[in-house]
Amino acid sequence: MKTNPTVAVTGIGCLCAAGLNLKACMDSLFGGGCTPQPPSRFSSDHPTVYPVFEIYKTPSTGGNGPQADIMLTAKFALTAAEEALANAGLNRKILPDKRVGICIGTTVGSAMNNEEFYRDYRSGGRPHMDAITRFLNSNPAKVIAEQYGVAGPCQTIVNACSSGTDAIGLGASWIRSGLCDVVIAGGADELCRVTYNGFISLMITAESPCRPFDVDRKGLNLGEGAAMLVLESEAFCRKRNQVPHAMLLSYGSACDAYHLTAPAPDGRGLKQAIASAMAACQTSVDNIAFINAHGTGTPDNDRVESQVLNELLSGVPFLSTKGYTGHTLGAAGAIEAAFTIACLSAGKIPASAGFETPDPDLLSTPVQQETAVDGTIAISQSLAFGGNNAVVIFGKGEG
Amino acid sequence: MRIAIQGIGVAGGFGCGADPLRRALLSGESKPQNILLEAESHKHEFPVYLCDTSRLADFVNKRALRRVDHFSRMAVLASVLALEDAGMLQEDHQNFAVVVASGYGATRTTFSFLDSTIDDGDACASPTLFSNSVHNAAAAHISILLKANGPNVTVSQFEMSVPSALFTACRWLQEKGVDAVIFGGVDEYCNVLGYGWQRFFGLGHKADMRPLEFEYQSAIAGEGAAFFLLTLENGDKPKYGYIADVQIGHGSISAPKIAKNNLLILGADGHKLSGSHYARHTPQGNQAAIYSPLYGSIPIGSAFDIAIAALSIKECKVFASSKYAGNNSGLNMVWKEQDLNSKPICCLKFSCSGEFGVIKLVGD
Repeated sequence: MKTNPTVAVTGIGCLCAAGLNLKACMDSLFGGGCTPQPPSRFSSDHPTVYPVFEIYKTPSTGGNGPQADIMLTAKFALTAAEEALANAGLNRKILPDKRVGICIGTTVGSAMNNEEFYRDYRSGGRPHMDAITRFLNSNPAKVIAEQYGVAGPCQTIVNACSSGTDAIGLGASWIRSGLCDVVIAGGADELCRVTYNGFISLMITAESPCRPFDVDRKGLNLGEGAAMLVLESEAFCRKRNQVPHAMLLSYGSACDAYHLTAPAPDGRGLKQAIASAMAACQTSVDNIAFINAHGTGTPDNDRVESQVLNELLSGVPFLSTKGYTGHTLGAAGAIEAAFTIACLSAGKIPASAGFETPDPDLLSTPVQQETAVDGTIAISQSLAFGGNNAVVIFGKGEG
Repeated sequence: MRIAIQGIGVAGGFGCGADPLRRALLSGESKPQNILLEAESHKHEFPVYLCDTSRLADFVNKRALRRVDHFSRMAVLASVLALEDAGMLQEDHQNFAVVVASGYGATRTTFSFLDSTIDDGDACASPTLFSNSVHNAAAAHISILLKANGPNVTVSQFEMSVPSALFTACRWLQEKGVDAVIFGGVDEYCNVLGYGWQRFFGLGHKADMRPLEFEYQSAIAGEGAAFFLLTLENGDKPKYGYIADVQIGHGSISAPKIAKNNLLILGADGHKLSGSHYARHTPQGNQAAIYSPLYGSIPIGSAFDIAIAALSIKECKVFASSKYAGNNSGLNMVWKEQDLNSKPICCLKFSCSGEFGVIKLVGD
């Protein structure tokens, strides 16, 4: 069987409630993390305050002109891209001459749902168009492409909670096909009242810190942030003597075709996505060091995910990092991919935050404390609204 | 390997299905409807090319459509029409992928969700509206109704959504081993967009669209969906030809690469911001046609141009440009139906900020 050509990951950038760069995030993950708090940028009239994982320091965009007034999602994306490119030894002087693609996942960053504007419109006012102009200037992939003056493929993936993972997988395919030398791929999303109210309406939001895979799990906490990976062809990476942090070995995705918001009870899409990714890089369960699960803390997600992990990857240590970051929606897959690579490099994974008591109905349970991991391959997986399932597999790099 | 177009499904202001589109192409006409839009304390007539999805009832039972909104209905309708056209509606779709492009997503439902919180309080936010407001709801409904378990992705890149998403559809066929990809674009009109339209462009262009007059704002809003059933070439000649190439770039960095003998279908749709890029970068020597006055100004307009290019290849002819497209003496426009003469067709789309997409179709 023919395997996928691998793709080098040479740069990583990440910010979320756990930290404003990758190092700070990892220090937080291995230092116990933080707890979610009531949202500070908006209020609601719910009788209960649902805590969130918020970034309190607004990043400076590094942009100018139209980029001076962009949505927070785009600012997060730019900040993570800047860290990732610096980490990869690339910058805006070098990039325009190369074949560079941008592939970014988001949810809020593509939604024209400015509430203040709409309230004014509904009440018969003539709201100013600043909010809409800001939205139009904030497409995350386009913002990054303009910031770095690149004209390769530019794609914003809006696949709900698997967007970040899908963006990384699709970006890697542009390298494999020889279309790009470099791809900046990842995800970004901000907290907002609309998603806050939406997730509460679905009754899958917890009133306390989330507890993925725990018997007492009550739902998810929303979060925000961004992560970007710099992907390169092995040839391009070698040519500039860059040492990769990891190799992106494969990507698998599949759809449950079952329900708009609930995962298929038999986990059919997730199984297919894992099987497809593992076949593409010809690996077996024995080679997998750990799995960074989607692990939102909702009863349905964790039940299905636990069942599939038990069936396909029994015995492999796994964790959810949502207890450190919250569910960052379109950014989640990218943030978790960044954590997966960093943990693979470190040879250890942190405790699955929020997990204390095993659920007798779940067939597998995550790690309860910091755990050393053997092996050179790790999996990061995402499940999403629409029944999407996306899986990326990384191999340990040299950097 | 090339990508074969096995079926097309369209729904827009011209009607629903390939036959109404063909009739509109032959007559050169498609009229928008006038809706009443409140502006400056008065109600104004605002022309919009609206899409009627009632034909969906021929394919999907009412119960299954109960919670499916207009945005997703347009996409589902165009998808099943594409599968029917390909003779694959009754096939097993388990190993089919779904790739959807949308400039703005489900805007009506997005604002209806806000209505639910504004009217009744945050605690009464509607879960049904929220789950249908996500951009990938249409792709999800297509997968659910057609039982398509392959990869599923939605791309949102404003006017570049279609070339960008088509890029992914082609990659998946070439890399992922799926049997086919249900690919298409969908966008809907809502009154909030209408309000934005009048704030940005004035109270609306009341006369016909004149998209060839690049310096003039004449866009009329549209909505609809255009979908395709794509496979890898398999030895049999597909009736709609092949997608031979997808180029994406930015006019400020490099011009689109289009060979002299290729027929151009211009995606200009009456916006002077994007018009300036057509004026600067459209190759002058190529024969060109334009059809946007048949479907209106819509971010995923390129999908309709691909459908028209596919029909041209099937019928070995170039349809006359829409007779209301305006005048542009600098371009070599096709004003009368003529033989295609096996020319490749390039659908060229510019965004307002100068990005471009070129989708090249060939018959052989």
